Amino acid sequence: LHVSTWERIKDSGVKSPGSKADSLVIAIVGSGGDGVALLGSLLLKMAADQGLYGMMVQSFGPQIRGGDSAVVLRISTEEVAYEGNEADLLLCFRLADLERFQISVRLHPESKVILEAAEEGELPARLRHRGMEIYRYPFRSFDENGVEMPSGPKNMMGLALICRALGWSDERVREIMQERFGKKPEVLKRNLEAFDRAWGAEGVARLPHLKGTGKPLIHESGNEAVARGAIRAGVRFFAGYPITPSSEIMETLIRELPAAGGRVVQAEDEIAAMGMVIGASFGGVPSMTATSGPGLSLMTEMMGLSSMAELPAVIVNAQRAGPATGMPSRTEQSDLFHAVFGGHGDFPRAVLGVFDVVHAYAVMYKAFYLAEKYQMPVTVLSDAYIAQRRQIHDPIDENRVPPQRRIWQEGDGPYRFEVADQDVVSPFRVPGTPGGTYMAAGIEHSAEGSPSAETNVHHQMNAKRFAKIPAVAAETGDWYRTLGRDDAHCGIITWGSQYGLLREWVGKHTDFRVFMPEILHPFPLEAFEKWRKGLRWTGVVELNYQGQFHHYLGGLTDMVGVHSLARSGGVHLKGSDISRMVAEAME
Amino acid sequence: MKSQDYRTSLKPVWCAGCGDYGVLKGLTQALADLDIPPERLAIISGIGCSSRMVGYLDAYSFNTLHGRALPIATGLKVSRPELTTVVVGGDGDGFSIGMGHIPAAVRRNVDMTYAVLDNGIYGLTKGQASPTTATDFKIEHGLSGVDDQPLNPVLMLLSMGCGFVARTHAGNLKHLRAMFKEAIEYPGFAFIHTLAGCATYQSKAYAHEIQQRCDILPGDYDPADFMAAIRAAQEDRFKLGVIYRREPVGVPVSELPVIADASAHAAAMEKYDEKGQDWVPGE
Repeated sequence: LHVSTWERIKDSGVKSPGSKADSLVIAIVGSGGDGVALLGSLLLKMAADQGLYGMMVQSFGPQIRGGDSAVVLRISTEEVAYEGNEADLLLCFRLADLERFQISVRLHPESKVILEAAEEGELPARLRHRGMEIYRYPFRSFDENGVEMPSGPKNMMGLALICRALGWSDERVREIMQERFGKKPEVLKRNLEAFDRAWGAEGVARLPHLKGTGKPLIHESGNEAVARGAIRAGVRFFAGYPITPSSEIMETLIRELPAAGGRVVQAEDEIAAMGMVIGASFGGVPSMTATSGPGLSLMTEMMGLSSMAELPAVIVNAQRAGPATGMPSRTEQSDLFHAVFGGHGDFPRAVLGVFDVVHAYAVMYKAFYLAEKYQMPVTVLSDAYIAQRRQIHDPIDENRVPPQRRIWQEGDGPYRFEVADQDVVSPFRVPGTPGGTYMAAGIEHSAEGSPSAETNVHHQMNAKRFAKIPAVAAETGDWYRTLGRDDAHCGIITWGSQYGLLREWVGKHTDFRVFMPEILHPFPLEAFEKWRKGLRWTGVVELNYQGQFHHYLGGLTDMVGVHSLARSGGVHLKGSDISRMVAEAME
Repeated sequence: MKSQDYRTSLKPVWCAGCGDYGVLKGLTQALADLDIPPERLAIISGIGCSSRMVGYLDAYSFNTLHGRALPIATGLKVSRPELTTVVVGGDGDGFSIGMGHIPAAVRRNVDMTYAVLDNGIYGLTKGQASPTTATDFKIEHGLSGVDDQPLNPVLMLLSMGCGFVARTHAGNLKHLRAMFKEAIEYPGFAFIHTLAGCATYQSKAYAHEIQQRCDILPGDYDPADFMAAIRAAQEDRFKLGVIYRREPVGVPVSELPVIADASAHAAAMEKYDEKGQDWVPGE
């Protein structure tokens, strides 16, 4: 088995899965001012408008504005949560920029390539495959003496060439430009001129035509979906501090939460942000914050307070790469230890992982459900790959009733932290309720709520608070997803943003099945043990250096013989990376 | 309401002679004067001797983390504007570990009263120098930071743009009661520098010495005059009273609408508002 599987893996990953006829991958590479990101967004919007699915990821240099930038965009007739392996079409405004995107922009031997006509000389090796079709277009303009003149916006020329390649009508482009630039007639004119010039070009690239349903779809980023999912789940207070790559969660809530009757505060730092969340939650209002690694570090003491004072809080952590400042705009899955184990003292909490943009809605609901029901902090781990991507999906019309906190009433007993028989949480006392006054505290306290430094009280209260964990586990045992055939002999265990990629990868590699927990802590162990029966080879795939998930599982169950397939973050994993990592581990 | 109605049955752990007793008494008197129902009152503290105050007050109270009372009070007040919110803490809690939150809270101007009970020492951790410990005292007791200048809380809050800055003394109950009353009534962020002696880690005579250095502001003092406030703050002697009071600006948070559909408190508040303050849960 191992040999045959290895052979198949070794040979795979060349033209999959982005090259299927029902899915196209387009890469656009440029420098500052080329408007690459806008071009990608317009294409994605146009796809969504005509009922096509798709996804877009962006890659930037370290500059604040300008600098090299690339987008990889996939358009598909089916929902996708992965931007594909290799580009079917590459539009590159400047060859020198392409070299900086060796990993994030990949090509196959039959990719079509559009280059700047003025860039002469030998092509780089990766563009010299015999099967490639090279097209050139004069994005830059020169006078008769060869002196460069100001040209129109290159991205609008690129838009025309790509729309023609896709067989899309120019009508819709004109409408969108009118919507976007209608208030600035000068800009609109310049853009339309550039668009028209390229629209009339001869000898353009052609891609297979993808037919959408005609029913417009939603397109949004992972951060936007987290924010909107939270509103549906009942959040009415948000506090946060700007941090890459999670800031758009706060920005979206600043725009959209007041209309839902909630409030947002931009705090002075992440400690304050989490403090405000706890304060609002103490007031009985469902509350959350969103941050990235460095912010999570600052919030950690407050997470202990949330758990100790039994005040619900939802914390979204869009993970970025590295400790300290690390690589702020790059992705990684390296905050798992922190989310599950971070903080001083013993305290219960739950940790969930986001699979993709669509899943953000479900996961935010579940996060609020657990936080409100069990009166403790719930951390949702997203990452830069989900946060910053834009994904097209069906409208989400499901409207569940937001989770309700159990409210204290007469007959519930006189003390805030006492628990009725067969219950694990104490009824919550809403400030404003007569007769319910009590002291919430980060200091250890008895069931009566009085401060205490007694060993027995501390132990009893630890037991009282930790009784929530088995209760959570009992109702979250099916919070996981599996992919692939049930009878596959090889197993991959992974989590979070690896979902979209693995969903496609196991479709091609039928010897493999995949287990992905939606709840990372408490871990759905029973389901996992059942799932892994009969496997002859198992590996844990994750995007961090230490193999945190592999280590974590090792503390929960027997992981002897299970391979760790881990690499540092930066660029997210691609299908070919999975194939290579699996092949290396099997060797 | 009477002042003792605001007390819980918990006995204070403070040392005999601690200034915090006086503040507890004056604060409860002010609350009684204002007739605030305990269930409509939120008292938030950080960590330290004075932060223990919240345990002795019958209210929805919260003994939070060291230095973090202001953000927690901010989150509460913004989301529950109908609650009267008072924050108490010490000089170490506020001016050292929690200092980063003060200018932000002042700028936000969320209605709350922030009382720093300043005893010029870390009492709970047994006698380390705080940001307001006098230089001579640090030299005399071999404390760290003899080159660190003690900070001037009133001058600092004025410079930050705080709309209400008062100073009072734990030994002057009548004055303290009046200051808390005015501060709680002020529709914005109100700061009270509350001098409160430490009977254990300061010298025995400290409370008395401090009191000797206090003057009540003269009757013709105009708290609307910002430059006069700056001069009062710079004096060696402690000026007691409302040092600065700016006319309130904007819509106070207290007047913002209640967040109606927030799941947890909606049900309880609805009943509360229907039946008024006599409502007993479960009816």
